[in-house]
Amino acid sequence: MKSRTFYILLFSVLGLCLALTVAHFLYVIYAYQHCSIIYFIGKELWL
Amino acid sequence: MKPGKQILSIVLVVAVFAAFNFGMYQLLTRRLSNNFSGATKAQMIDVKSYLPHEEGSDLPELESTLKLTDNLPILDGAAALVPVYAAVIHNVYPEGCVTYQGGTFSDDNFYGENFAEDSAMQYKNTVRGYQAIVDGTTDILFCAGPSEEQKQYAEEQGVELVYVPIGLEGFVFFVNENNPVDNLTAEQIRKIYAAEYTNWAEVGGVNRIINPVTRLKGSGSQTAFEAFMGETEIGHKSPLAVLGASIGFSFRYYMDGIVENEAVKMLSLNSVYPSAENIQNGSYPIVAQFYAIYRADNENENIPVLIDWLLSEEGQTLIEKTGYVRLQQK
Repeated sequence: MKSRTFYILLFSVLGLCLALTVAHFLYVIYAYQHCSIIYFIGKELWL
Repeated sequence: MKPGKQILSIVLVVAVFAAFNFGMYQLLTRRLSNNFSGATKAQMIDVKSYLPHEEGSDLPELESTLKLTDNLPILDGAAALVPVYAAVIHNVYPEGCVTYQGGTFSDDNFYGENFAEDSAMQYKNTVRGYQAIVDGTTDILFCAGPSEEQKQYAEEQGVELVYVPIGLEGFVFFVNENNPVDNLTAEQIRKIYAAEYTNWAEVGGVNRIINPVTRLKGSGSQTAFEAFMGETEIGHKSPLAVLGASIGFSFRYYMDGIVENEAVKMLSLNSVYPSAENIQNGSYPIVAQFYAIYRADNENENIPVLIDWLLSEEGQTLIEKTGYVRLQQK
């Protein structure tokens, strides 16, 4: 793979992953404000 | 760069993001089942279980001497009090007074339920319920006490509301069942919400950040919580607290009798467990009244009749049968 092609591909993948992560973050912020806190606390991770 | 390393770089980028998002899903996203759609699992309440005059409903039966036949006051209320006012309709109102858009009950719309406009039973919950009572689309609202904003809204609209206490309920704090803390003092809880205590180890628990969770502004439990905090200001918690072990609050019967989520446990307060007995005998320290609320200028003659009945032995027995605590001793 040519260097230029590689960097285009790398930054495209990086951009896509970043966009999906930001979308995940926004969903978490929105859903946290509307979720059932009983369910939220009941599903807490305790190892 | 060699082709092998190029591919490895791309795979590495994807793997890092995937791991991060998986971690966030495990810690947060999977716990965020919402209650803003009737189609989701974690509704505020399963109204279908409390439909009056329906076979298989969970409403208590009572030999009521009061039977209303016409001019039926429209009843509405908070999620936690659906069993109470639905039981009133079930025992006092005639069959056929609860109607649905489209003819049959459905909870598959935005707010969850499809009561028809002329139905004697509605379910708007606290925030929209207060608006409905002020606007005159509901006759009696069953709710916890109003927030300052709700009082102000009524004043702005020039509406006088009458608040009649009809029962008692314990205001409770709860944590995950695996949290080793079983008891807190009221002072400790105030300090947790004031962000003075930020780690469970400071109150006898494990070394883990405390996530003090609050509710929607104007909801019955949030208003009761603000009254509990009094002059103590609610502190700003760290953004990382959301990853910690949470503490939340609610009303006892909503927790214990309606939602019945066994993955959470109610905390004793000042070493007193919030049982129905401890609420009625006054040993549990935070007891809230709940109210039947109506407009002072509402001319429906059955409103005072129904209110008097709710305060009578029969009405108080019904409140007790729905799982709440009666006002007066038998």
